[in-house]
Amino acid sequence: MATRSTVEPRPQPGSAHRRPAAGRARRRRRVLSYWPQYLAVSPFFVVFTGFALVPIMVTFYLAFHDWDGIGDPKYVGLSQFRYLIHDHTFWLALWNTLVIWLLATVPMLFIALVVASMLNSAKRLSGFYRVAYFTPSVTSLVAIAIFFFAVFSSQYGIVNATLHVFGVPAVPWMTNPWTIKIVIALLMTWQWVGYNAIIYLAGMQAIPTELYEAARIDGASAAQRFFRITIPLLRPIILFTVVVSTVTGLQSFTEPQVMFGSNAATNPNSGGPGQAGLTVMLYFYHQAFDNNDFGYGAAISWALFLFILLIVAVNWRLIGGRDR
Amino acid sequence: MELSRRRFLQTSALTAAGVAAAAACGKSSSPNGAAGGSSTISLWYWGGGLSDKVVADAVKHFTSVTVKTSVIGGDFKQKLLTTMSGRKFVPDVTGIKGEDIASFLPRAERFIDLNTLGADKLASQYLGWKWKQGSTQDGKLIGFPIDIGPTALFYREDLFAQAGLPTDPATVASQLASWEDYFSAGVELHKALPKTFLLNNVGSVFNMVVGQGTTRFIDTNNHFIGDQDHIRRAWDLALRPLQLGVDAKINDNSWNAAIGNGALGTEIGAAWHALDISSAAPGTKGTWRVAAGPGGPANIGGSFLAIPATSGNPKAAFDLISWLLSPQNQARGFTDAALFPSSPASYTLPALTAADPFFGGQKTIEVFGPAAEKIPVAYEAPADAAAAAPYFSELTSVETKGKSPDQAWADAVSQAKSIAAKQGVSI
Repeated sequence: MATRSTVEPRPQPGSAHRRPAAGRARRRRRVLSYWPQYLAVSPFFVVFTGFALVPIMVTFYLAFHDWDGIGDPKYVGLSQFRYLIHDHTFWLALWNTLVIWLLATVPMLFIALVVASMLNSAKRLSGFYRVAYFTPSVTSLVAIAIFFFAVFSSQYGIVNATLHVFGVPAVPWMTNPWTIKIVIALLMTWQWVGYNAIIYLAGMQAIPTELYEAARIDGASAAQRFFRITIPLLRPIILFTVVVSTVTGLQSFTEPQVMFGSNAATNPNSGGPGQAGLTVMLYFYHQAFDNNDFGYGAAISWALFLFILLIVAVNWRLIGGRDR
Repeated sequence: MELSRRRFLQTSALTAAGVAAAAACGKSSSPNGAAGGSSTISLWYWGGGLSDKVVADAVKHFTSVTVKTSVIGGDFKQKLLTTMSGRKFVPDVTGIKGEDIASFLPRAERFIDLNTLGADKLASQYLGWKWKQGSTQDGKLIGFPIDIGPTALFYREDLFAQAGLPTDPATVASQLASWEDYFSAGVELHKALPKTFLLNNVGSVFNMVVGQGTTRFIDTNNHFIGDQDHIRRAWDLALRPLQLGVDAKINDNSWNAAIGNGALGTEIGAAWHALDISSAAPGTKGTWRVAAGPGGPANIGGSFLAIPATSGNPKAAFDLISWLLSPQNQARGFTDAALFPSSPASYTLPALTAADPFFGGQKTIEVFGPAAEKIPVAYEAPADAAAAAPYFSELTSVETKGKSPDQAWADAVSQAKSIAAKQGVSI
C-alpha cells in the first residue's frame, strides 16, 4: 500500500505550488478509496495495538515505577534497574536461560537440517513423515511438559527404569542442576525439530536440481553436496530459524513452570531444586504475579528484551554476516 | 443489481464489523451490579472454593436479589487484581485464598469493613485466630472465614505395627509429641523397613515448624525477623530428618507413586491433605490413621470471602456471605467439598463426626477439632511469602545438591533480606 504513492503521477511542480490543498485532498480521496483493503488488514493492527503495543508501552512505564497491582504506581526512577544489577537470582536466571537455549537450539537446528534432507530424499510415505515431525509443534506444551516430567522422574520415571534394566545407576534427572537443564532442552528440541525441518525442507526444494547434477558430474560426494550447496543456499533460511529460535527459546517459561509448579503455596515458581530451571521469564512471572512487584517484573522483561536483541544481533553477524 | 464478489465481500465485512461493534457496546453498557445498584449480587469463587451445592441453594434462597455466581479458573488472585485495578466488572462478593489475604490487607480501603455490616456480632461463632487472619491490624474485617487447614500427623498404621511403633492414635500423639521423638520414631521405622522413609521433604517440616510459632519472617512493626532464633530453629529441625537419613527427598510429582507404594510412612499435613492421599493412593484405604502432629498444630491454607468497596449492595452481599458460611452450611461444605469448617459449632454436627473408612473408621474430627482451636495467632505480613521463598529454595539445595547448611542459611537470609527490603520492610 505504501509503495502505491510512488506509482501515482506526480503533480507538476508549478501547479503543486499554486494549489497544494487540492492535491492533498485528491491524495486523501485516493487513500480513502482503498478502505476495503485497509479494513481487511486492520484486524491484525487492532489486535496488535490492544494486546501488544499498549502492554509494551505500559511495561515500559511500569519499569520506572513501583506498583503492587491495585494502588497507584509510584515513580522510582532507575531504582528497579539498580536492584536488578545486584540481584543474584536475576543473573542466575539469565545464565539458566542462556544454557537451556544453547543446549536446545544448537542440536535442534542441526537435527532439523538432517531430518529435512532425509525428508527431501524420502521416496515413500513422505507426507506421513512430514506430518509426524510437525505434530509435536502443535501439541499442547503443558501436556508435553507433564509427560517429560513423568518420563524423567528421578524415582519412578521410565528413563531411570530403563537404565536400571541395563545396570546403569539411576540419574537424578529432576534434582541435579545440569540434568534439569538438559531435560528442559530435550523437551524444546523434541518439540521444535519438526517445525524447523519443514521450513528447511521448503528451502531445500527451492534449490535448483541442476546445481546438484552439475556437482555430481564434477564428482562431488553426498557430504560435499550437502555442505557446499545445500548449506550455503539455505543460509537466509537458517538465519530465519536461528532468529526465531532465539526469540522463542530465550523466553522459555511454560516448561519449567509446569515441571516445577508443585509446592505452589510455599515456594511458587521457584524453578525447581537449586533454582536450576528458573528462566528469566519464570523469574519475571514470580516477581510480578507472586510477589505483586509489577514494577520489578517490568524491569526484568525489558532487561530480557535487550538481552535477546543483543543475541539476535550476534546471530545476524555470525550467520548473515558474510554478505555485508 | 448483480452481486459481484467485491460487493459481497464489502457488505459482509461491514456487517461483521457492525455486529462486533454492537456486541461490544451491548457488553459494556450492561449493568454489572455496581452501576445498577441492588438487584444482582455477583459472586466469584474458584472450583472447590465453596460447596457448589450450598451456592446453588443460596441462589434459590435469596429471592429479593439475584445471585449471579461465576467459578473463575486459572490464577484467581491475578484475575481479581486485574478487575479491581480496572474498577470495572468487580464482583460484589469474592473469594480470597489464604495465601493471598495478607497481600490484600494493606489495600483495606478497596474492601468493605465487614464489621460495619454486623460481622462483629458473629465473631464468637468463628475461630479467633482465623478471624484475626482476615482482619487488618486496626481491626477492620476484610475476609470472612470460609475454611481452615488444621494440621496433624497422617501415618500408616500397618507400617508402624511392622516397625514395632505404637499404632493407636492417642499413643502415637503422646509418644511422638515433640519433633525429636518423631524423628527418632522415623529412624526406627526406616531401620525396620529400609524402603520406607519418614517424610517427603525437608521443606514441609520447615513450613510446619514456622506455622507452629507465633512469629514469622516479618513482625508487626514491619521489621524483618527471618534471621532470628525462631526461624533458625525451624531451619535446624527441618534438616534433622535429612541428617538422620529418613528423608525421602521428594521434590517432584513422584510423590503420587511414593505415597501409594509405602515409601512414605507418614505425612504431616492439613485436614484437606487427606483428600490428596486418598486420591493418589486409593489402594492404601484403611491403613492410614491421624494423630495430633509433633510440635503442635499449625494451619495450612483455608480461604475467605470479601466484599469489594465497589459493591452496589453491601448489605445484601453480607447477608449472602453470612448465609453461605453459617455453621450448618460449613458442615455441608465439609461433606461436599472437603472444606474444613472455621466455625467450631460445626464440629459436633453429624457431617463431621462420621467415621472415615479411609482412616479405618477413625473419627478424624477428634484430632482436627482440638487442633483447629489450638492454632497459634501469628502475624503474616504482606511480604511474608516473598521473604520466605529463599529459605525453601535453599533447603532444597541442601537436600538435593548437598550444599553446606551454613552456607545455605547465610544465602537464604541475605536473599530474604534483600527481597524484604525491596518490598518496603525495614531490615
